[in-house]
Amino acid sequence: MSKIWSMMDIGKRAMQNSQTGLQTVSHNIANKSTEGYSRQRVNFQSNVPIGSGKTRIGTGAKASSVERINNEYLGKQIQKESKALGYSKARAETMARVEQVYNEQVNKGLNKHMAEFFNAFRELSNNPESLASRTLVKESGDFLARDFQRVDGQLTEIKNDIDYQITTVVAEVNAITEEIADLNEKIQKVQISGGLPNDERDRRDVLLKELSEKMNIKWAESESGSVTVTAGNSAVLVSGYSTRKLFTAPITGQGAKREGHLDIYYKPSKQGTPVNVTKQINSGAIGGLLETRDQTIMGLQNKLDKLAFGVQENVNRIHKEGYNRYNQKGVEFFKPLASEEDAAKKIKISEKIATDVGLVASGASPNSPGDNRIANIISSLQNRQMMENGTATFDDFYSTTVGEVGIMTNKANKAYESQDDVLKQLNNIRESISGVSLDEETAKMIEFQKSFDASARLIRAADEMMDTVLNLKRY
Amino acid sequence: MRISDNMRFDQVKDNLSKNRTEMSNHQNQAATQKRVTKPSDDPVAATRVLTQRMDLEGKKQYEKNLNYALSFLNFTDSTLEELTNQLVRAKELAISQANDPSSNKMSREVVATEIKQIYEQMVRIGNRKMGDRYIFGGYKTTVPPFSEKGNYKGDTGEMLINIDKGSFVAMNIPGSKIFLGEGLSGDGVSHSTTEQPKSLEELEALKADNQISPELKDKEELIRQKQQELPEAKLRGLASVYDKGEEVVIDKLGPAYHKGIDLFDSLKQLEISLMTDDKTGVQESLEVLDEAISQVVLSRSQIGARVMTLDTAKETLTQGKLQSKSTISSLEDADIYEVVSNINKTEETLKASLQTSGKLMTPSLMDFLR
Repeated sequence: MSKIWSMMDIGKRAMQNSQTGLQTVSHNIANKSTEGYSRQRVNFQSNVPIGSGKTRIGTGAKASSVERINNEYLGKQIQKESKALGYSKARAETMARVEQVYNEQVNKGLNKHMAEFFNAFRELSNNPESLASRTLVKESGDFLARDFQRVDGQLTEIKNDIDYQITTVVAEVNAITEEIADLNEKIQKVQISGGLPNDERDRRDVLLKELSEKMNIKWAESESGSVTVTAGNSAVLVSGYSTRKLFTAPITGQGAKREGHLDIYYKPSKQGTPVNVTKQINSGAIGGLLETRDQTIMGLQNKLDKLAFGVQENVNRIHKEGYNRYNQKGVEFFKPLASEEDAAKKIKISEKIATDVGLVASGASPNSPGDNRIANIISSLQNRQMMENGTATFDDFYSTTVGEVGIMTNKANKAYESQDDVLKQLNNIRESISGVSLDEETAKMIEFQKSFDASARLIRAADEMMDTVLNLKRY
Repeated sequence: MRISDNMRFDQVKDNLSKNRTEMSNHQNQAATQKRVTKPSDDPVAATRVLTQRMDLEGKKQYEKNLNYALSFLNFTDSTLEELTNQLVRAKELAISQANDPSSNKMSREVVATEIKQIYEQMVRIGNRKMGDRYIFGGYKTTVPPFSEKGNYKGDTGEMLINIDKGSFVAMNIPGSKIFLGEGLSGDGVSHSTTEQPKSLEELEALKADNQISPELKDKEELIRQKQQELPEAKLRGLASVYDKGEEVVIDKLGPAYHKGIDLFDSLKQLEISLMTDDKTGVQESLEVLDEAISQVVLSRSQIGARVMTLDTAKETLTQGKLQSKSTISSLEDADIYEVVSNINKTEETLKASLQTSGKLMTPSLMDFLR
């Protein structure tokens, strides 16, 4: 049976519903630019009708829930691709710096110094008696050695900078995992009371995405709604409400080039011994940084060492056979190096040559100031295949390295660009589903406003009807 | 498709930044005129540019070497011209004193002093310096190669100058070849026999090859001693000039070892002949002087040949430099017409983006509700 009161009641609740709707609209509009925000929607449901038989009368609507519009699968995909984005971004940025070390398009570099070094010996062979040309040889040898040191030093500097970046990123990771654990707690609480923790979930999704950008993580959600986050294969960072931190510590006892750089450690329990998880992290920003530091730059430094050692060894071998101004032989041009290790860092002209250019050898026979054969042999080294088991000249070897750096940088840039595009595409799709549209919200706003108006009118109608009923007796 | 507001803004942002990036790249190319400013722009081109630059550097040095060698050779040539003139003068004097009607004991004695002066002038020529270096001393460039008596103190070293990748040209002719006629090839020409070793191993091999056996060395020493005994002017009546026994020894040194004329010796002989009024001796000297002149002329022709080689090499080098430069340019330089047209194109696109962006951003439903 229908009642006027019930009409009033429906009207009242409809007004409330409209307000809920309007409030959600305003929440959406307010969060239009919030990162990772998913638009929310009020789910209305009609109330259980009353009455029996054929006259079941509706009792209005209720707002059953406010849910976020979002595609879980898309979110996971975005997180996965973020990992690759973080990696390629870190690679592109660090490689751009490495490339600058080898960039001779604008600056004078090793290539030019090497050419000048061998040219100096040609100049010496023009005029072996002259002190000036000997000084030129010494100077150009010194510049060459210094440039080896410069390249090596700049590469080491980049490695140190990468270490600094790793420390920062690890700190960020720790901050993020803490917030995730915090959100875990909130989400669990809301879910237990039967609610939908929309905003908390949005935030947690953003954090997981950010974490993926930094390192390769795996995560799983339990039924209660909290997530467990694992870095690499075994380092559990977040479990329920608790977190475990990552930390960095210098490497020791692993050979000169890695010595002193940072590795990443994880403590499984408070008292446990720290576990080195560096090798497990192969993606995300940290993965990219580690790759550049431990693979690329190490490789380049080793090559540089090889080249420096090769130049040093071959020049010395010939130079020792030559006679200098004082008819002596056996003086080394470069300070002799025992092994390839750190050759680029250690290479320099021998102290004897540095203090007396008369010791620069040019002749193959004693008492012959005009003899230039040794100078000629040394300058011929430039065009002889002395590297890589006699398959490459010094120049070949170096320009191949530059080419490799170019290709690596180019590849890193391309990978970053395309990965960025992939992510933009995915974000676009996500925005298309979850993003706030002002048009839509305006329409919704009007819709709810109108229904608010209508509901109010309903109450007035009910009120008038009630008046009518109450006035029945007066006549 | 549902378009949310963020999508619209992101799209505008992305597109504009894309256009701007492109614009900045083109602008950069226009400003630097370079297409490749870092290796990653075009790794293959960057590598080739590097190789070409190294080549170019080398070529610049080879050009310097060449010019130095050329001036050295030209200097040697003019010095040898002087030497020839002196010898020709000596010959003229000898002719004038070779027969009785035009000369007598007195005139011969006078001429002998002039010959002595020519002799001294020749020693001075032998000790000629270019800059700080004696040009006829072989490798021994810091001490005068000839003593007053015409003894050679230099060696047979030939300074080889690098004029192109792996290519060397001898710059000097040791005085022993020109003045003493030693170490000439079978045809009497002072061919450059030295090869530039490219490595220590080659140097050792060459040294071993050129090693004169001790036995041979002894003989050479013997000749030298005899020569030194000889020119001491001893007045011995009718001087019979050439000790034929000596030539036998030289022949034993092998067919390739051609003994030419010792210029100082021949002048000394002439002087002695004149002083002793030895007409036959003077006549014999004529023949020797002829040979001496041709020996010097042959050396000069050798130098001329080297200069020609260098001239050709210089041309090749200039060409090569040009080639390297143009290769580098084609690899790394921006095509300015293309850049400018790209800039115009990008500018149009940018304008279009900005215009449409304005249209895309402003209207929303809000604007139409009153």
